[in-house]
Amino acid sequence: MLPTHDLDQTPRTLLVSESSSFLDPKNRVSAQVEQLRFNHQVSVLLPECSSAPSHLDSVLNSFSSFYLIRKLPVYELLDRHFLEAAVYHGAVYGLSYRTRIDEDNSIALTPNGHLTLSLDKDSFELLGFEGKPSRFNHRTATRFVVSVDLTDSSMAPGGRGYLRLLTGLTSRLQLQTDFLLSHHPGSGASLQSLLSRYDWSEHRPEVSCRVLSDLSCPALRSCDPHSLLEWLGAVDAGCHKIPSCHRSPVPTRRRRFVTVLTHLCSLSCRCYLEQPRLESWVSMTVHGFVDSPVSWGDREHGFLRGGENFYTLMMFHDHTYQLHLATGAHDACPP
Amino acid sequence: MKQVEEKEEASVYQRVVLKDASPYHYLKVRLVLEDESTRLSAVELKHFIITGLKTLFGEVGAALNFDVLKYDEDTLTALLRVYSRGLVTLWSSLTLLGSYQNKACAFRVLQVSPFLLALTGNSRDLQLD
Repeated sequence: MLPTHDLDQTPRTLLVSESSSFLDPKNRVSAQVEQLRFNHQVSVLLPECSSAPSHLDSVLNSFSSFYLIRKLPVYELLDRHFLEAAVYHGAVYGLSYRTRIDEDNSIALTPNGHLTLSLDKDSFELLGFEGKPSRFNHRTATRFVVSVDLTDSSMAPGGRGYLRLLTGLTSRLQLQTDFLLSHHPGSGASLQSLLSRYDWSEHRPEVSCRVLSDLSCPALRSCDPHSLLEWLGAVDAGCHKIPSCHRSPVPTRRRRFVTVLTHLCSLSCRCYLEQPRLESWVSMTVHGFVDSPVSWGDREHGFLRGGENFYTLMMFHDHTYQLHLATGAHDACPP
Repeated sequence: MKQVEEKEEASVYQRVVLKDASPYHYLKVRLVLEDESTRLSAVELKHFIITGLKTLFGEVGAALNFDVLKYDEDTLTALLRVYSRGLVTLWSSLTLLGSYQNKACAFRVLQVSPFLLALTGNSRDLQLD
């Protein structure tokens, strides 16, 4: 039988909790939450209302659709026309679909033009391009990360770095994957030439709404962060056992996305808070993709046991907020 | 183990970094039975897991406190909560639990996280087809 101190070892967890006010000019909520680029679900919890306010509804319905491209060869992301029409303007971002970060090759394209390839050892050696061993290797280096700034002069079309990567992806490692691609509003036209060459489908985020009644709510301002997140998780999951204080009817709305413009979402939540009511708080939780190669800026993300990376923004009536940024073992600290 | 770094500039702004401070870990598990028509209640499931703990770790192991936060009888899926230092104990006993009422069974551990909120959204379940 193992000695108990070995059984006590659990992976590192990291939770950053910030509280401040939206009225404080130095608050950096937008800058912080924008760094979680690839998100698949948003949950908004609104107390004391049986249906969502109309301006929140209109914001949620205004998000642009995203595309799923089947069997996209990765060298297409280096296509000169695609780079000039979309990538250099910071208009597109994408993530490989249904690739597991701990088993398969994963690709991410961030809005600032960074292309990240998370490859297993054989694929990396075939590709023949500079990369670093992953921070999440166990004993031997079995995973490597190739990170390329497509807007840098060294990766300009025709340059040496560009040609080396392009040759690697076309002749040595013909990497092909299903790819989720999204764009900033108004930039849809830049994707048309790429989409016309492959099998693609358009998807819109789906919205679902649940009304919960007789829900008990703890003292949110004084609650410690872990208990607060546990309560929010219990509400979202529909658990029978929820730590209790007093009762109020609480509707929730839930939405699945590729990426989300949370700035608009949080602004409309704040408008909702300005109206007088008994319970003056709103909570918004945004879940990042667990298989994204990058998380919190462009730093490497790993799965290990959970792959969690999400944040919760609790907004109160008096323009104060609590921002809880969570990440899993060995990821870099959230901003 | 807990380290807390605090930056407090004014009475309004505060930043706290909590490392390894999560008191609980949460598991989403599904019980797969050879006889698919068998159904268990939440109490029976908890008793079954305690039996598994006792088999592997004895009376001391069986005394490990864990909660079944949510249980779906139709899919035999449960959300379990356990103290962080008991995670490995519970998880290993679930792995090695092989039979229920003399019929083969297996626990599939679908998701593990120190945050219950992370268990409500798993991008690996995302189906766009």
